Amino acid sequence: MKMFKLLLLGLLCIGFSSVQAQTAEEIVANYFESIGGIENWEKLEGMQIDGKMKMQGMEIGLKVVSLKDARQYTSINFQGQEMKQGVYDGTDMWGINFMTGQPEKMDAEAVKAFSANEAKDFPDPLFNWKEKGYQLELLGKETMEGTDCFKVKLTKNPVVMNGKETEVVSIYYFDTENFVPIAEEMVSGSMMQGPPGAAPQKMISTFSDYQEVDGLYIPFSRTMPQGSMVIESVTFNPEVDDAEFEMPEVKVAEPAPKQ
Amino acid sequence: MRISLLSILFLFANLFAANAQDEQVVLKGNELFGSLSARQIGPALMSGRVTDLETHPSNNRIIYAGTGGGGVWKSLNGGATFNPIFDKYCQSIGCVAVDPQSPDKIVWVGTGETWTRNSVSVGDGLYRSGDGGTTWKKMGFENSDRIASIVINPNNSDEVYVGVLGALWGDSEDRGLYKTTDGGATWEKILYVDQKTGCTDVIMHPNNPNVLYASFWEFRRTAWSFNSGGLTSALYQSNDAGKTWNKIHNGFPKGKLGRIGIAIAPSAPDIMYAVIEAENKSESGLYKSTDGGGNWELKNGDFGLVVRPFYFSRIVVDPRNPDVVVKGGLSGSISRDGGNTFKGLGQMHSDIHDIAFDINDSDRMYAATDGGVYRSWDGGAKMEIVENISVSQFYHISTDDANPYNVYGGLQDNGSWYGPNSAPGGVQARHWNSVGGGDGFRVLRHPTKNIIYSEMQGAMNVWRYDVDKKIVNTIQPYAAEGDPKLRFNWNPPIATSDNAPDRLYIGTQFVHVSNDMGSTWKKISGDLTTNDKSKQDQAASGGLSTDNSGAENHCTIFTIAESSLDENVIWVGTDDGNVQVTQDGGKNWTNTISNISGLPKNTWCYHIEASVHNKGTAYAVFDGHTTNDKKAYAYKTTDFGKTWKSIISDDVEGFARNIQEDYVDENLLFLGTEFGLYVTPNGGESWSKFTNNMPSVAVHYIDLQKQTNDIVMGTHGRGVIIIDDISPLRNLTQDILTKNVHFFPTESTEMYEEAGFSGVFGSETKFVGENPTRAAKFIYYLKKRHTFGKMKLEIFDQQDQFVTSISPGKSKGINVVNWNFLKAPPVIAKGKTLSFAGFTSPRVPAGTYKVKLTKGKEVYESSIELTYAKNGIPVMSRKAQEVLTAKLYDLTEDLAYDVYEIDHWIKQGKKVLKDDENSEKLVAPLMNKLNELKESLVITTGDNYVGTAENQLRENIADLYGKIASNYDKPSSSDLATFDLLKKQYDEKKSVLEMIKKKDLAKFTDYCTKQEVKLRTQKSKEDFLSK
Repeated sequence: MKMFKLLLLGLLCIGFSSVQAQTAEEIVANYFESIGGIENWEKLEGMQIDGKMKMQGMEIGLKVVSLKDARQYTSINFQGQEMKQGVYDGTDMWGINFMTGQPEKMDAEAVKAFSANEAKDFPDPLFNWKEKGYQLELLGKETMEGTDCFKVKLTKNPVVMNGKETEVVSIYYFDTENFVPIAEEMVSGSMMQGPPGAAPQKMISTFSDYQEVDGLYIPFSRTMPQGSMVIESVTFNPEVDDAEFEMPEVKVAEPAPKQ
Repeated sequence: MRISLLSILFLFANLFAANAQDEQVVLKGNELFGSLSARQIGPALMSGRVTDLETHPSNNRIIYAGTGGGGVWKSLNGGATFNPIFDKYCQSIGCVAVDPQSPDKIVWVGTGETWTRNSVSVGDGLYRSGDGGTTWKKMGFENSDRIASIVINPNNSDEVYVGVLGALWGDSEDRGLYKTTDGGATWEKILYVDQKTGCTDVIMHPNNPNVLYASFWEFRRTAWSFNSGGLTSALYQSNDAGKTWNKIHNGFPKGKLGRIGIAIAPSAPDIMYAVIEAENKSESGLYKSTDGGGNWELKNGDFGLVVRPFYFSRIVVDPRNPDVVVKGGLSGSISRDGGNTFKGLGQMHSDIHDIAFDINDSDRMYAATDGGVYRSWDGGAKMEIVENISVSQFYHISTDDANPYNVYGGLQDNGSWYGPNSAPGGVQARHWNSVGGGDGFRVLRHPTKNIIYSEMQGAMNVWRYDVDKKIVNTIQPYAAEGDPKLRFNWNPPIATSDNAPDRLYIGTQFVHVSNDMGSTWKKISGDLTTNDKSKQDQAASGGLSTDNSGAENHCTIFTIAESSLDENVIWVGTDDGNVQVTQDGGKNWTNTISNISGLPKNTWCYHIEASVHNKGTAYAVFDGHTTNDKKAYAYKTTDFGKTWKSIISDDVEGFARNIQEDYVDENLLFLGTEFGLYVTPNGGESWSKFTNNMPSVAVHYIDLQKQTNDIVMGTHGRGVIIIDDISPLRNLTQDILTKNVHFFPTESTEMYEEAGFSGVFGSETKFVGENPTRAAKFIYYLKKRHTFGKMKLEIFDQQDQFVTSISPGKSKGINVVNWNFLKAPPVIAKGKTLSFAGFTSPRVPAGTYKVKLTKGKEVYESSIELTYAKNGIPVMSRKAQEVLTAKLYDLTEDLAYDVYEIDHWIKQGKKVLKDDENSEKLVAPLMNKLNELKESLVITTGDNYVGTAENQLRENIADLYGKIASNYDKPSSSDLATFDLLKKQYDEKKSVLEMIKKKDLAKFTDYCTKQEVKLRTQKSKEDFLSK
């Protein structure tokens, strides 16, 4: 009889958990529960992601290093050449200009915007959202990728873009069955600008291929309007040399060799 | 908590019942459509009707535009471009209002356009956004039909007034002025006149939110008449925040009044303007009050001020100058002397519905017209159009069988057009061709000749346009001797025949047929309408202002369809609710309407679709909205109309106008409703709304393009919208739907080879329609979305050689994945700079390719056949191109590995040099040799732009590779000679490398072994090149 009761309770939970009213806060809490437990994410000091960007038949090697202290960089690999982009040393940001191969500072507005939000987003934008001053709102349910989802609006800290204060809003779509986000729609204030041209296009990224790494779940595949990213490996708490974040000196271009 | 045994049993019973039902997979909406998505191709060059403009009170970069059928658009850049922000909701917009206290966040939208022309859509309530238009919440007023005004107290965001104009096509108690004091949670109706008289303009005194003005209008439309005006139209004032109201008509014309537009001067609020439609024509015009509405004086009755009040009654006062008044109208009028005299606004599209002044600079103005939003930088003298608002309103569309196929259609107030569904760089304004003036309706391509038929309202002209010769003939039929006056609908039906290419039909009350492309006509029917005389007095239509434009013509034939299976079977539907069929080419007609049950009498038959599967089968769609009936009606007969069966389910929202049958699967149907597209895979048992990149826009006409299986929609507010290749929706059996993964068979794909120059200039601010993919498509169904674990999609050739991998779709439902026939690009030698040609991916040869979908441990396979484009390039030439491409590909990679090896040894050498001073004698010359060799292989200096260095071998090989790989034809003799030269150069370098390896490197490794220096092992070539 006891078994029967347990079974019944189990059935009740299965049957009811997905229909129960959820708050946005609960959904996000459930999300961290399903991807390894918030206390385990809390322990992380850094993360290195190695993978590839696929854009219209082209594959570009990609390494993203992000640390708990907000520092991060992305290194892309074209034809064997590493070029750093979006390097944030805690104060400034820089990246390599594709034309000259030399480092250049990112504009002050973008750096400020980055400091206000993305710099705080290790290991996940939803992590410690409340402490970061972010707001959550449950907008209801909607199908995304054919799947029933909770639609949760995340409002980050406002930033100044082109001289005007702008809201930063993303909408997350959490699969109602397992509480992991399968899509994010960047609505406004994103540093990622839409494609050039006047035609409106939605900036939706999707997440899939969640895989376990040391007890934590990470989506190994992300698609964006510009292409898709496939993660090949994730390293937690990587050893990173401080020099990686320092902006190198600009070298005057060497003259081309005489033929 | 205690659970009784009974409830446990009950619960189990429910669970099992639910499970039992689950065996039948019925997919709704996106569960079925998955990633199948629509694309929007415009056109936007003529934009469409814009109904209301709203500025932000402190940020002049932000402007909102409400449209007649295309939703709400927002500009973040002072009107350079706009983006749609209301796609999921009703697209017919009455008004937009920004909260003055919280303008970045709170925006209100009242749906239901209030410029009440015949073709106007309907609204479904009031919406509020708390985040500047990102997300919206319905705030009630579901039955309001149309909302004309929203006013927000600038000191209290919770206090909002809403003017409900109400139903256009019937009585309604929902009309009137409403107020909330709790931000919209509850509403009180504070002023109501009667079921016929709705609230139009509501304004608040700029300095005293307790002072309000509201105008009321008695109006009504039927399918055959319009009335503006009555004794209940009036202007009211309240001084106590809406508690009490007084009529303020001192100086107003006597008798019946029509629509009243009002405005208050923000910089001098005692000055008010009202534009009044009066019973006595000489009393219509602009009235002015200088005492806050106490007394009124007629200032001006020019044409521009009295024209069509139901369509134009907006007046706007310059926020800084009470003497500058602008009024909407046929051309728009502006006064700079307080309303005494007016001149026209600068030339722009006619029919101006609203004007907005910039908040800081009165020289900057915006106008809402029947043809988009216009901007002015000089106080309204010169107007320029915003070029990316794609809100064109199609009445009808059709397609041809060209490649790429063209879409033909007619637009509300914007003529008739055709344009390609795809074009280099996307479908742009310049790709559209004008083929008719006035309002455009049905546009049909002759089935075999390069001739286009088009028409304008009421068949005032029906044109036959010979595209090649550029000759236009006007061909509409006239009444023959003894005939009554011909009654053409505003949107007259013309139809071609699949059986006789030169045949053309046109409908009045009779069916007229021509077998010589419209040169001569004969009647093949009697009057097929009800011929109700009481519905034919259009000369008296309009109310106080006669409005006999032809828009109310009634008792007419509205749809004609000849069966493609039998030319003697012709179906006809009339706007007064008859469905007639002949089976003998028009000798005898049978009215089958009495065989349809559940349909109110005289409901407008909007479309009849003759089935391609069976000549006795047809579909009829009825639209009752002109009698205030907003239900969807669609019926199917399989016996020439003897019996009709409803094929509408509860899923369908909004009245329907059109249906399209699939040519292959008789149970697959597409229904166009006022709020979007619905699809049924099961003959109408259940319908699903299609929402992927498809706004909730009115779909007036649907065509299924035969060669591509594309659903092409003429929307009345968002231009042409296409769903490419709907074939996966065909014959979706339970067998397929219960599989975890199902690959749909792919037809052989011709590899697209057209090249060209797109020359997309101005796309920063111009609309560019999305192209279809020309890639090969893998289409598969997933029973469940792939979220956890690995999934990949790889392509192999017949020898099981890996070709490339592509990102798989992971949606539940149908997934479409594109492959552009390319294999992975070669690995390029690492240099100081990039080799741009080296990014070229080679095309695969024609043939059959295997597709492997790996999902966790499971592998699913399919295959695809690729064929060469049929453009005259011989296979021999293609093979020569492929052989040279492959050689250059390999040469590129050989070089890449050589450079990798050199770099590897340079690195090792450097390390040894650093750690061991004694090694210099041996290592330094090795390093010199390696560096010298490397410098001749790849660029080692300069940058990627104008600081570029001279090309080395890598660049020369890659450049030739890029050139050959992107060609389709055989390489030229000079290409081959260049290859031989490069190959020779490469071989020379290679032998140098081999020599270094054999001598110097051997010594080096020996030395290292002796010194016990551990060297790193290099990657094998296979590893290095793996993709």
